[in-house]
Amino acid sequence: MKRLSHLSPDECVLLTAARLLDGRIVWRGQDGRWFDRVAQATCLTAEESAAALEEATAQAARQGVMGVYPVVARKGAPPQPVSMKEHIRAFGPTVHPEFSYAPQPEASS
Amino acid sequence: MKLFNLSQQHIIPAEEADPVSLAELKEHPEAYAVALEPDESVEALRPFLAQITLVVLHFPIFRDGRAFTQARSLREYEDYKEEIRVTGHVLPDQAAFLRRCGVDTVVLSDDDDQTEWEAQLKRFTITYQQSIAS
Amino acid sequence: MKQPVGHYAYESRDREFLQERIAEFEDQVKRRLSGALSEEEFKPLRLMNGIYLQVHAYMLRVAIPYGILDSRQLRKLAHVAQRYDRGYGHFTTRQNIQFNWIALEDAPAILRDLAEADMHAIQTSGNCIRNITSDEYAGAARDELMDPRVHAEILRQWSTLHPEFTFLPRKFKIAISGSPEDRVAARFHDIGLLARPSENGPLFRVFVGGGLGRTPVVGQELFDSVPEAELLATLEATLRVYNAYGRRDNLYRARIKILVQTIGIEPFREAVKAELAKMDLSHYRLTPERVAAIRARFAAPELHAVDDADAVLAQHQKEDPDFARWVQSNTHPHFDEGYSIATVSLKTPGDIPGDVTAEQMDGLADIAERFAFSELRVTHLQNIVLGHVRKDQLYALWQGLKELNLAAPNIGLAGDIVSCPGLDYCTLANARSLPLARKLGARFGDARLQEEIGALSINISGCINACGHHHAGHIGILGVDKRGSEFYQILLGGQAGDHASIGAILGPALSEDDAVAAIARIIDHYLAHRNEQESFLEMVTRLGKAPFKEVAYETV
Repeated sequence: MKRLSHLSPDECVLLTAARLLDGRIVWRGQDGRWFDRVAQATCLTAEESAAALEEATAQAARQGVMGVYPVVARKGAPPQPVSMKEHIRAFGPTVHPEFSYAPQPEASS
Repeated sequence: MKLFNLSQQHIIPAEEADPVSLAELKEHPEAYAVALEPDESVEALRPFLAQITLVVLHFPIFRDGRAFTQARSLREYEDYKEEIRVTGHVLPDQAAFLRRCGVDTVVLSDDDDQTEWEAQLKRFTITYQQSIAS
Repeated sequence: MKQPVGHYAYESRDREFLQERIAEFEDQVKRRLSGALSEEEFKPLRLMNGIYLQVHAYMLRVAIPYGILDSRQLRKLAHVAQRYDRGYGHFTTRQNIQFNWIALEDAPAILRDLAEADMHAIQTSGNCIRNITSDEYAGAARDELMDPRVHAEILRQWSTLHPEFTFLPRKFKIAISGSPEDRVAARFHDIGLLARPSENGPLFRVFVGGGLGRTPVVGQELFDSVPEAELLATLEATLRVYNAYGRRDNLYRARIKILVQTIGIEPFREAVKAELAKMDLSHYRLTPERVAAIRARFAAPELHAVDDADAVLAQHQKEDPDFARWVQSNTHPHFDEGYSIATVSLKTPGDIPGDVTAEQMDGLADIAERFAFSELRVTHLQNIVLGHVRKDQLYALWQGLKELNLAAPNIGLAGDIVSCPGLDYCTLANARSLPLARKLGARFGDARLQEEIGALSINISGCINACGHHHAGHIGILGVDKRGSEFYQILLGGQAGDHASIGAILGPALSEDDAVAAIARIIDHYLAHRNEQESFLEMVTRLGKAPFKEVAYETV
């Protein structure tokens, strides 16, 4: 994964995890709650993300999520994860457009 | 520390057992209890088995299944009839496997729930292999 | 109920066992949800019941023992796809089926539904003895020496919740074939068994330590002729050596192939023999009575060929060239002159290899019922075989398949691409494999072009774990990650079977589009320069990779 210390100005950090009950991908958003859509993820600076990650990991079991980790994304609405793997997690499998999670931003790579 | 009895055989109480290591056993021929590491061969116990009444096997983590082979070898190859005990990280989900490989007792911590172990031990009425304990 | 053709008919104890196993798993799920089990503890337990946590959801891998399904079971899989997933399933290279969008809380209910059709997900993952795979032409092929499925069932039962071998250093895959032409890639398994009959009962040639993955190794012969009576003892002894001495400190060095390589095949064989010497073999004896009892639970197909089957088939082929092409590529000689083995391609050009919708599953179940004794075989090349089809009924069968969009005439040809799910679905993957499979499938989709190219296997894996068996493809493709972008390495010259070999890497990895173009140029080069009757693989063997490398990279 891209190192958090080398973010460019148009990039931020999102926190993601999987939901225990159904394994679905979730993104950490407002009030530290977990959402299905990447559009609701809170964009964090690298500094903010370290504390948020610690807090989210500590709360994970109680919130019914597991495997919390940070993801680098380009800012926007919705934010766009940089790596292909996280892009697929945010927007759905590329081979099944009918299962996509959200409209992809114009600049999708 | 408490013991869960898988086989309902007579067992040595937890507080009485003071097992020596395989290396120490050679210095202490009077010892009756020995603890074997997962990478130690049960064959090494052969000269001492006549007086040994407790062999303790160890799970560094529940996924490390070498103790199953050690226990079964002790029963099958060495004809060892006395108690086999396991320590370390074991799950109640392994109860029947342990029993069927010839293990008698499991060392649990005081706050471990024995009901899960009891349930697991009774769960399967059908098995597809004969086993050393059947 | 009538006994199923081609697989073991469950008896009441087998059904009770499934219920006990489901109850156990349901309890494990409850303990996970309550927090009594940590994810670290739960993971190996759920894996042993086929449940993964994948990219988008939990994934359920259902076992198809030795690849055989009956129509009733396929309809049950369609039901699971419809009710608990998104209307489709994915057949894998291990003769299993995977559902990609499963919720953990639904898993016990799904397992109960599957058990209604005598199906389960036991040991489809985890560090245990996995689902036993076998020859997709078993009991039907003209060249077969003996039907391996009775012994595959014996191995399935022997390995099911084996008390000693459920926490092995790593997964353990066993394949068994009864054909002289090793159709199960026996030398690419932890243990590969080739069965043959003899005057004194079946004999088994045993290979050990083969496998693909990170460290591809061709298996070595452990024993040439193990008698049936000693089959289980031999497997027990081999697994005992592995469980005691296989490495546990490094995930990537833990397979039996590494142990065999490290100590050498001779010392390994001696260690197995030493175990056997300590065992009371009478205790482990596989008796003829036991084999007969299992065999009695397999129904044989009642074949009634019509006299003019060949003439009727020839007439249909003459009238319909599309059908003739399909017969040419998708049928295989049956031991009965009036019958054929038909392969249903799950590689419709432009579609995802191995994906089947619930409607197609139901349709295939109907077709198998009408034409093939309700018996279907899932292949390690991600297709479905109908073992016993009357030649005069092939045309009607093919028309039925066309309606299901499953009549691609490409078995063994360029369009018959094997692919893992890749980064779109798999957490281990480094790159996507399915988009590449679709592009190549579309590129070589033309039936005439494929016919001209002839025998060619293309295998795609999205990471070095090699679920797409890229080392064993005539053309192998391996997805790699380079600083967050997907690239693809091309390998040439791999093959499974009797002359098993591992493909050689051609050169630096290419982007997806460049890889497709490079493969097209490689195939063009073959078409332009092959000797008469020379297959792609033969040409690669004759010339080596250099000329292909040159054309592959010429414009990059």
